[in-house]
Amino acid sequence: MKVIICGAGQVGWQIARHLSGEKNDVTVVDTNADLVRRATETLDVQGVVGHASHPEVLARAGARDADMIIAATHSDEVNMVCCQIAQSAFNVTRKIARIRAQEYLDPAYSDLYNTDRLAIDVIISPEREVAEAALQRLAAPATFDTEMFMGGKAQLLGIQLDENCPVLNTPLRQLNELFATLRAIVVGVRRDARLFAPDPGDQLLPDDQIYVFTNSEDVNRCLEIFGKKNQKQERIVIIGGGNVGLGVARALEQRTDRTRAKVIERSRAVAERAADGLERTIVLHGDGMDMDLLMEASIDRADAVLAVTDDDKTNLLVAVRAKQAGCRLAIALVNDPTLAPLMAPLDIDAYINPRATTVSSILRHIRHGRVRHVYSIGDAEAELIEAQVMSTSPMSGRLIREVEFPEGVLVGAVMKGERVQKPTGDLRIEAGDVIAMFAMSKDVPEVERLLQVSIDFF
Amino acid sequence: MISRLALLPLIVVLLGMTAVLMMLPAAHAAVIRDLETARAFFYSSLVLMMLTIMLAMATVTYVPRNAARSHLATLVGAYLLLPVAMALPVLQAVPDTSALNAWFEMLSSFTTTGATGYEAARLPPSVHLWRASVGWFGGFFILLAAYAVLAPLNLGGAEVISGRVPGRGAVGAMQITRIAEPAQRYTRYALTLFPAFCGLTGMLWVTLLIAGEDSLLALTHAMGTLSTSGISSGEGMVSSTAGLAGEMLVFLFLIFAITRRAFPSTLMEHDPRHLLQDPELRLALLLLLLVPLVLLFSHSLAAIAATGDTEIGLTASLWGALFTAASFLTTTGYESAFWVSANLWAGLEAPGMLLMALSIVGGGVATTAGGVKLLRIYALIRHGERELERIVHPSSVGGQGSEARRLRREGAYMAWIFFMLFAMSIALTMLGLVMTGESFDHALVLTIACLTSTGPIADIALAEPVLFGPLAAPQKFILGVAMLVGRLETLALVALFAPGGWRR
Repeated sequence: MKVIICGAGQVGWQIARHLSGEKNDVTVVDTNADLVRRATETLDVQGVVGHASHPEVLARAGARDADMIIAATHSDEVNMVCCQIAQSAFNVTRKIARIRAQEYLDPAYSDLYNTDRLAIDVIISPEREVAEAALQRLAAPATFDTEMFMGGKAQLLGIQLDENCPVLNTPLRQLNELFATLRAIVVGVRRDARLFAPDPGDQLLPDDQIYVFTNSEDVNRCLEIFGKKNQKQERIVIIGGGNVGLGVARALEQRTDRTRAKVIERSRAVAERAADGLERTIVLHGDGMDMDLLMEASIDRADAVLAVTDDDKTNLLVAVRAKQAGCRLAIALVNDPTLAPLMAPLDIDAYINPRATTVSSILRHIRHGRVRHVYSIGDAEAELIEAQVMSTSPMSGRLIREVEFPEGVLVGAVMKGERVQKPTGDLRIEAGDVIAMFAMSKDVPEVERLLQVSIDFF
Repeated sequence: MISRLALLPLIVVLLGMTAVLMMLPAAHAAVIRDLETARAFFYSSLVLMMLTIMLAMATVTYVPRNAARSHLATLVGAYLLLPVAMALPVLQAVPDTSALNAWFEMLSSFTTTGATGYEAARLPPSVHLWRASVGWFGGFFILLAAYAVLAPLNLGGAEVISGRVPGRGAVGAMQITRIAEPAQRYTRYALTLFPAFCGLTGMLWVTLLIAGEDSLLALTHAMGTLSTSGISSGEGMVSSTAGLAGEMLVFLFLIFAITRRAFPSTLMEHDPRHLLQDPELRLALLLLLLVPLVLLFSHSLAAIAATGDTEIGLTASLWGALFTAASFLTTTGYESAFWVSANLWAGLEAPGMLLMALSIVGGGVATTAGGVKLLRIYALIRHGERELERIVHPSSVGGQGSEARRLRREGAYMAWIFFMLFAMSIALTMLGLVMTGESFDHALVLTIACLTSTGPIADIALAEPVLFGPLAAPQKFILGVAMLVGRLETLALVALFAPGGWRR
């Protein structure tokens, strides 16, 4: 597939990295020649220097035969115009734009974006998605990774096991029999930095990181079984008052329980903007690394600290510092996935990877078949794919045990109508069902083949 | 025609208007067959018209050097000169009065203070009408000046909103090659404001008549309410025949002295918020609620030691307190007919202190009211609130938008400077009065009455009314200056005489 990515910044670069890794023909466009060079040198992509919304630049990037354009420059307006031109001048099939300003995302004007008007098929808004991811982490503090599936009816939980876990050294098959009513399944295990899909005979060991796919109603029970407990978060300190921090603080303000948040922001202008957008939340101006300032935000009595500045190292250090001062839970935003292994030694409870959330939302639109949701796990090691089974799919009408899933693929859940069911060998997959599958990266093409319907998708 | 007139110096135009306005009491006196008074007004009007025409011809080519400053100077000039012209007919119509008394009376009316040195019965009805009209004219004049002169110069409360240095215009952008002439502003604002001002006065007059008020009393009360002069041809609300209904009507129309946004044509800024969210109105409502509460509280205290008189009703007392509080907050100065009973009921010894405090707070910015103005108090309150917040969280950042932030920071600073200047002018005026032989408490009441342009407060602040009539000449002069300072606001005078203006 031929993809043009406009903007080679943080988001654009990560998307390019991911798509080029999947053997797509990717072209990156940016006004900044240095950024373009960085992309072309480190990734298998082509680069074009120029203003993304100029037709001539798009033509040079090969828009005439492109299948998809992803406009992810820092300017909402450029992204919009870029998609419009791609539609009007080059007739590009799929147009994805990153739009940050909440004003453009007002549901009252949601019918603005269609082919007749502003030709944007999909709007991605990384800050908002990251803010949502942060809220999910806060909601399930015992996990290191969470994601909603099937319209909120099912959830993927990443759980770090320790010695207190009561179900260690038990084969998974036996666990299934022990907790027959629990609608949860272990879909992935990371042991010694290696991620794999477990067999029914595998056992769980201390220090394993496991991914559990569970029905949303069973989340608390599931956590209990694995020796974790969800605690209420009432006093939260957010470091960084940018779009992400502001988004989280806003969402916390709207909660009905008495959650009290404090925001710390270094830039006066950004702090003022955040203060204007919030009502009850206290916004503090200063360096988040400053111990006095952290104490002013009463970090020692805080239930959780959320470090969401744009600098990875600051986030990590602030999280460590907060933990040291007595904060019970630390969550850090980390852009660089190679920093992920540092979390355990630094005693940081969870991290948010904005790349994963953004890339996940874009992948959803690239995968073939009726893919509804894709969540990228770890450093693009595996994916959780939620898709609708079509009548033309090879899976349709067969029992799960009959389908030839590759070795690295596990079915997490099947949703029939509105009911989420635990997959058993005797469950028949029918057309129209929604299926959630864990797939190692190397097996993704095979999963696509299982879901794919030759021509009628386009 | 109007634009031709607007090119004349403002003071000449104002003189002409005064002359025309004199025809009103002249006609009234003629109708009630008080020919002597009618003659006094008619001839004075003719003399002034002649004078105006001569001055107009002499000054038609006059071009001021610094237009904005010249209008500020004219504003002061108007308050110095016009009362003299206005005193002409009073001098002739009122037997055996001195020129000083007539001038004091007119200055007090024109600054919407409404303090009077005469007994109500001593003046002919037409002279009462003249006092009310002068007050009404003065009210309209200060309203117009607030929009056309003071606001562009960041004075009269605009400095609290904009947070810029008072006495100077907005920082010019490169693109602005021409700014509106003050004369044009006057014309434009006068044309927008006058119909509304007249219409509202007329509306109040007619509704008061329907409520059963005597016609002259209704007109003077309507004029006195809209201009916040508090001038009455009788003894205020006590001599009213409209009773509670009349008071309620006046009460409703006091809102125009509380917030500029209640006025039908909003000119100063466009604020999408609802009127009830206006900070000035909210603060005023809060203050007005406080007064009846204080009364209730003191009543419950007094009731312990009460000796009787249980006939005075709770509702009447509360209404009396509410109306009087509103009237003095807007620096109008009508006293409710139920105020005395409210006092008796509550057993307050010196209720006047409460009213003096209210009139120092004053009405809204860019209205006809005097005092420190609600917006300044609001800015100071918000600033204080924010400072308290900063004690808990020293590095916290305040929200609610950049405008609110500016109000709390620069606005509150300006408001504080004004407040201090106001306090200093109280001290200086009192000093002058005490040095010329007034007792301390009388001096305090008189000073606050004149500086906040709430003349009637002298009648009820102390147990015995403080009279303006028997004051000595130097004291009247001092109070005259105080009225001028109170009406124009100290900042405007400071801006006019600031060294920056001395340069050529």
